[in-house]
Amino acid sequence: MASETQAHPPAADHGHDAHEHGHFGPEMWVIPEAPGLVAEVNEKQNAPSGIFRMVLLAGAALTILGIVGFVLKAITAGFSDHRAWGFYVAAFAFVFTLTASAPLAACAFRFTKSHWRRPLSRIAEIFSLVSIVNILLFIPALIALPDIGVATESGELMVRRSIWFQELVNPSGWLLAGMIGLSFCSVAILWLAALPDMAQSRHLVSGFRASLYGRLAGGWYGTKRQWQVQKGGLAILGALYFMMVVFVQFLVVSDFAMAMIPGWKDSILPPFYTVISFQGGLATILLVAYAMRRWGGYRDLIGQAPFWAASKVLLGLTLLHTYHLFAFFITYWYGRLEVEQAILNYLMFDSYIGIFWAQLFFTFFIPFPILVSNHARREGWGAPLAAIFIVIGLLLWHIRIFAAAFAAAPAVEGGLYYLPSDAFSFPALLLPVPGATFPDLWDIFMILGGVGIVLLVFRIGMMLLPPLSLWEMKEGSMYQRVDTLIRGRYLVLAKPE
Amino acid sequence: MAMPGFLQQLRDVMYPPSRKQAILGLFQDAESAATAGDALKDAGVPDTDYDFLTDSPYPEGSLGEREEKHRLYLYPFIGALLGLSSGIMITAMTQVAYPLVTGGKPVLSLPPMAIVCYEGTMLGAILFTVIGIVFESRLPKFQLGLYDDRITQGFLGLRVNAEPEQRYEVIQIMNSAGAVEVKTDQ
Repeated sequence: MASETQAHPPAADHGHDAHEHGHFGPEMWVIPEAPGLVAEVNEKQNAPSGIFRMVLLAGAALTILGIVGFVLKAITAGFSDHRAWGFYVAAFAFVFTLTASAPLAACAFRFTKSHWRRPLSRIAEIFSLVSIVNILLFIPALIALPDIGVATESGELMVRRSIWFQELVNPSGWLLAGMIGLSFCSVAILWLAALPDMAQSRHLVSGFRASLYGRLAGGWYGTKRQWQVQKGGLAILGALYFMMVVFVQFLVVSDFAMAMIPGWKDSILPPFYTVISFQGGLATILLVAYAMRRWGGYRDLIGQAPFWAASKVLLGLTLLHTYHLFAFFITYWYGRLEVEQAILNYLMFDSYIGIFWAQLFFTFFIPFPILVSNHARREGWGAPLAAIFIVIGLLLWHIRIFAAAFAAAPAVEGGLYYLPSDAFSFPALLLPVPGATFPDLWDIFMILGGVGIVLLVFRIGMMLLPPLSLWEMKEGSMYQRVDTLIRGRYLVLAKPE
Repeated sequence: MAMPGFLQQLRDVMYPPSRKQAILGLFQDAESAATAGDALKDAGVPDTDYDFLTDSPYPEGSLGEREEKHRLYLYPFIGALLGLSSGIMITAMTQVAYPLVTGGKPVLSLPPMAIVCYEGTMLGAILFTVIGIVFESRLPKFQLGLYDDRITQGFLGLRVNAEPEQRYEVIQIMNSAGAVEVKTDQ
């Protein structure tokens, strides 16, 4: 059975002597002992704490609510008027933003060979399962997306601005292919990373999990070659995933936000969206890790160090988010074209002013001081607390951008949105600036359903797969030790690479 | 469990039957396993005939094992090249077959073509990388060979494919190095 830590003071010593741990508390570095780790995690998985049961039930209930909302929306509004689906698209984009970047955190911190990442890796990778749901959620959004070109009654071809080649219909084939490719890559990363753990756990599990592990990890012995190919494969897939996730985010934000608002041409928006996604992904991982540590029974396996280290990355991403927001604003304010002023008024200072300021508070003014506080970061609760506000702020961001974009796009051909194919020298304007759109009951159900399906699928993923990367934690215990330096106890690291 | 004929044939093609016998030594610590590995090398057992089985990746060369070479890095390049070619063909041939001037742009407009080509490149690279992982890891094995579950608890396995005449010597080497148990497939 794994003891609490290796060379680690017993629990009774917590806070006993400031010199004992230097400036750090006894829970900062938790280094589990490798033997028995597989059995211990398997035991925790089989006897989940109350919070996990609650998450499963809440996820299932909210998912049902979302399905009800979706069905009733489809019956009452149909798919002919895309404006009815703005909040659905916002909910999809919110789920996509938070979950698509999460697996990247595992790859990125593995690239940098950070030891503190080890307890977070599998949590990040399990979000790959949500990417399968993202494909399903994406399909109605694709159906709601208006065609690129239409023919008028007189036979004249009218088109809207688009990044796609020669497509007149909705470019859903390319968009869906991108989403499926992204999902395939993330699931491949999860499979490859979980392969040794499934192989090591197969003699401890029974029923469906035994069959699943047998099929997915058959032939894994842990030979040198297999470890090397796994390491190389994770590096290559991680790099490809990064290139793919940025690309799909570019497609989603271009087609479902920018292209929907007449005259909106913005080179900052795609990278802005990517930064937001990285911020949201990391925030979500930290929330899950904190819940596992605080209420899930994983305190002896997850220390404070991952939160302490990740909070600095989260602080950087929060600052980057705010910088991009400012850059977006100042470019349009400086340009002062009529269309630019109209877009600023629509998204920030008039129609959606309330949601804009609320989002700014949630994504910057509240989390920034929390993340700046060294005490809050070091104690481990700072980053998860900031993450709660960031996730709420990002939900508001998606409503402000995606729901507003779908509401602004005219439903009929002609006018200023669809233009004759040779008339692109004329700007399309967002005039008069439309008012804000509010969600109806079905929209609220669908937004809640979006949150619910993430909870549900993630929880199922935690039940099916080892929720901690066992091989990485074992590897970590080989390279880390808490040892004494003068009068304090500090982490000693081996860096074989 | 009996293996279907087709699977058995596939296995025979991938892993041709050999007269060599598998021997697995189980060690409680890395030092003993490395000592056994050195002794096998001294006894003339080729280093391609034995493998260390571990529950986590050990640093390169720490067990005195051979350097493993794989060609995984080639797969994404091949996939990317095929994906890029497909992307260029789809976009160029479609536009040439159905020429349509949109917004004054040329028929073969490179920026929108680049988007589809990039997507094709990525999809090809990802697909081929996964195929490469499966092949290079020798993963499609239908039966678990000689193994011991204690390896998952931190023990190290040293699996040797020995000629029948070397069998006794290999077992002796493992026992002398401090093997907790030695298993054979006989």
